Formats: sequence, structure tokens, C-alpha cells
Amino acid sequence: MEQSGTSTRLQAAVQDLASGVVSALRGGGHAHVVPPVGTDGEAGDLALAAVRVLGADALLPGLLSRTPPDPAELAVFRKAVEAYPPRGDAAPTVRWSHWAMARTLRRADPSSAEPPHEPDTAWLDGATWQVLTHQLAVLAPLALPGEDCAVSRLAAGRPVDVARGFVRAVRRRDWRQAAGAGRWLTLLPGVPDTVGLDTGLDFVELMGGQDPLVALQVQAARRMRTGARG
Amino acid sequence: MSAPADPHRTHRIAGALRAAAADALAWTDSRRADFALGEDALASDGEVDRSWKPLGELAQVCATVARLTEPADPLHARARGLLDFAWQETHEGELFLRLQRLEPFATYPLEVYSVFASAGLRHPAFEQAGAVVARTRGWRLTEQDPTRRLGVLRAEERCGIHRFGQTPPELPQTWLGGLPEPWTFGRDAGYALTHVVFHLADWGRDASALPPDLAVYLRDWLPPWLDTCLEAGLWDLAGELLAVAAIAARTTGEEVPADDWRRLLAARGPSGEVPLNDRDLDELAAGPGSDGDRYFLHHYHSTLMAVFAAVLAVTRPAGRAAPAAAGRPGGQGAPS
Repeated sequence: MEQSGTSTRLQAAVQDLASGVVSALRGGGHAHVVPPVGTDGEAGDLALAAVRVLGADALLPGLLSRTPPDPAELAVFRKAVEAYPPRGDAAPTVRWSHWAMARTLRRADPSSAEPPHEPDTAWLDGATWQVLTHQLAVLAPLALPGEDCAVSRLAAGRPVDVARGFVRAVRRRDWRQAAGAGRWLTLLPGVPDTVGLDTGLDFVELMGGQDPLVALQVQAARRMRTGARG
Repeated sequence: MSAPADPHRTHRIAGALRAAAADALAWTDSRRADFALGEDALASDGEVDRSWKPLGELAQVCATVARLTEPADPLHARARGLLDFAWQETHEGELFLRLQRLEPFATYPLEVYSVFASAGLRHPAFEQAGAVVARTRGWRLTEQDPTRRLGVLRAEERCGIHRFGQTPPELPQTWLGGLPEPWTFGRDAGYALTHVVFHLADWGRDASALPPDLAVYLRDWLPPWLDTCLEAGLWDLAGELLAVAAIAARTTGEEVPADDWRRLLAARGPSGEVPLNDRDLDELAAGPGSDGDRYFLHHYHSTLMAVFAAVLAVTRPAGRAAPAAAGRPGGQGAPS
């Protein structure tokens, strides 16, 4: 399949950014996960777009360790939030992902504007467990301890369904979906113990962890799980 | 998010399953000659998988159907007719005695015979001979995987040799009995778990006999197993899982997984027969044997399993589900 050069370069930029987040989450010192502001031209556009694609997770290490973000990183993140507002016809996951970034910006810098009103969750009304899990995995940046929103409340009402979706994703070797669902499962009450989440996250990392987007979710899940126990 | 039961929908599904079972059993009936025991049924190098195994499976499914349906039901008459046919093939049990003389410590003659015994078709001399062999330490120590061992214990119980406890010691040794992480499910684990359930529930005779923790475990994890088996075109295993779902539902009160059933029924051949998997029939044609043989071997077991599962699903006794176990907070079950 032919891909445009820009698309390939964007994917590479997203992977690089995700790798930086993973190493920061693993505690490898403070990593500059967001490229410095002032990178001009195509490289700058690409870096900004990559932050938008990765979404709120670009600032996840600081958020979980409650350390103030680097001002330069914050500036790039803010620019990405402002540069890519969701279009009127944007998919619900795009709206939510943008909302999550706005919320994260506000957490990182309380002087920022309040996040806009939450989008609705009507598109998930009556969703099958398969669709629900897929959509939640796409919205994994919303899965954060102590952070409430309509999507997380909806997920909290369907722990068994998300766990079923995790099993399905592993069986289908869809490691990104499995990792995103696994991250949600660390937060949801009422997940059946038999799912074996700890070994499940290890397995997903073993099989799919060479993809930084998988490793990011697994690492986030582990950090949140440790935090929840501590 | 559990959807409330819609009586019209339930009724429609029951009608479709009943019709599917009737077609599948009619196809089975049309292939009697393929189930017949050949000359090599008593040969020392005979292929059990091509002779005794299909006949025993036919007998088991028909025994269950006959037990669960009313005498006036056309399914009942056909199942009973096929069961009698199978019994005649064994010369009313006489061949089991001859098999045992050839291989006294093989367990399969007792396993197949026990199907007939459970339906009231008995051969006292074989049962006496079986009891003598079963008293040896060697018989008890036959090396078998724990799932197969459960089947032998069930066979012994049906023949009055031993009692089958509610939680046999072999159960925790099985994949299912150990409540493994559900994402470690695979084809082999799938066939092992379905048979553990079938043996525990005595192939539908005692479908409410599942230990509660197993019933809950199955309710939680059958949906993704079914979904992924159906997606992979593993029709035979999907049929067995649907039978397991019907058995577990007698404890948990879950609804019939209508969407999964629709996907399985869509895979049927022209006469209602269900293929083993979605391998291309042209590819099958390259194998040994005649076209008819290959077609039979590619369809008979999955077709029998579809009959078994459908009849278990539509003959569920009303009001048997324990209220405490019914419904699952946070799960909507299979999609509709």
C-alpha cells in the first residue's frame, strides 16, 4: 500500500514522541517528550501534529508524578491544543481527545482557559462490548486516576464488557487495543479477578511492546496500578 | 446495561434454532451410511476416529435430544430413530464385548458404550466385564489428560461402576477447572473446556450441575471466545461453545446469544449441515478418500454439535436460573 511521505513522517514523529513518554514513565529521568517550540517549517508542523495525535498523554509523565511541566513543553502542548480544534463534523473520539488535552492543559497550568464543556457520550449508548472497548482504547488518555468525565463514568458501569474486549483484543493480536483496554481495566471497579490483569499487561508488552504506542499504554497502566495500591 | 428480555425476540430465536436443529438432524439422518461401522471396526489397526468415534458422537447427541424433547416432537422421533440405528450398528452392544476382549484396558469401548447405557440401551455382560477390568489399579492409573479422565469417570458412573462426585478431583487439573486467564484461550484449550463442561453436565442430562464458580467464569468469558472463534471461522468449536453457553445459562440465566447463533447459522451448507471450519471445499477435495467421505468428515461433527447446542438452548427449563447468579452487573452479554 502506498502512503504519502507526510503520513509516514507523521507516524514516525508520533512513535518518537511516544518513545519519549515511555522512557519518562519508566523513570529514566526527565525526558523532553515534546519537541522544543520554535522548530520551524515542516519539522515544526510535524512535531505539533504528533503532539495532537498522541493527545493528552504527551504530558502524562508529569501528570502522574505530579511534577510541573517544562515551560517549553507546555508551550508546544498549548499550541497543539489551539492549532487543532475539532471541526464541526468531527468524530466523537476526536472531540473527546481534544477535550482531554484541554483538561490536561488546565491541570498543568491552572492559568489556562477552562476546558470547554464535555462532549456527550450518546454515540456509546447501547454500544456492543466490542465497539465500546475499541472506542475506549482510542480514548485511553482519558483513563486517569482521580479524573472524572462522562466517558470514565460510562466505562465504570461496564467493567465486564471492557474486560471481554481486552480478551478479544489479545485473541486478535490487536496489541494497541489490548493495551488501551488494559489501562482502563486498572481503574474500573468490578473487573472479574479471573481476567489476570497483571500477567495480561506483561503479555501484551511481551507481544506488542516494541510498538511505543503499546508500550506507552502498558507503562501507564502499570504506573496507575502501582499508584492505586500504594 | 443488561438488556431486558424481549419475549418476542426470544421466541423468534427459539423458532430459528428449532428449525436449524431439525434441518441439521435431517442431514445427519441422510448420512446414516457414513456413520455405519465398517469391516475394520474390530480390527486391531482400525481407525477409531473414523468408526467408533463418529458413531458414539451421533449416539450422544441423539440421546440428549431424545431426553430433552417431548415424544410428540418430530426432533424426538428422528433422534430416537438414529439412536436405535446406532445401537443396531453395535449389534445391541455385543460388539463392545468383542472389542473389550481385543483391548481389555482400552477405555474407549466403555466411553462409547456408556452413551447407550445412559439412554437405557444396555448390555449386562459387557457391563460386568467392564466392572472387572475397572477394579484393577492399572485401569485407574491409565495415563490420560484430566479432561479425558473426567469422561472416563462419567462413563463409569453411567455403567454403575463408580459414582461421579459433584467436584471430581480431576477438575482442578483441567484448563477450565483452574480458572485460567481468559485471554490464554486457544483452540486446544477451547476443546478441552467444552468437554469438561459436557462431562460435568452429563451432556445435558444434568445441565444445572456446573459448580457456581465455573458458571460465573463461563458467563464472563464465553462472549469473547465465541466472538473470536466465529470471526476465525472455527464453526465446530463455536458450536461447542454455544452448547456450553446453553448449559451455563441454566445456572446463570443468561439469554441465548442470538448474534453468535446468527453468525454460526450463516455458515451452514445447502441442507443445514455445518462445516468444521471455513476451509475452502476445493482445498478439501485435494485430500484422500472420495468426495462424499471428505464432505462427511468435514461436516458431521460440527453439524451434530449445532443440533446439540440448539436443542440445549431451546429446551431450557423455565425459572431454573438462580436469581443471585442471573445477570451480570457491568456486562451486557452478547451483542444483539
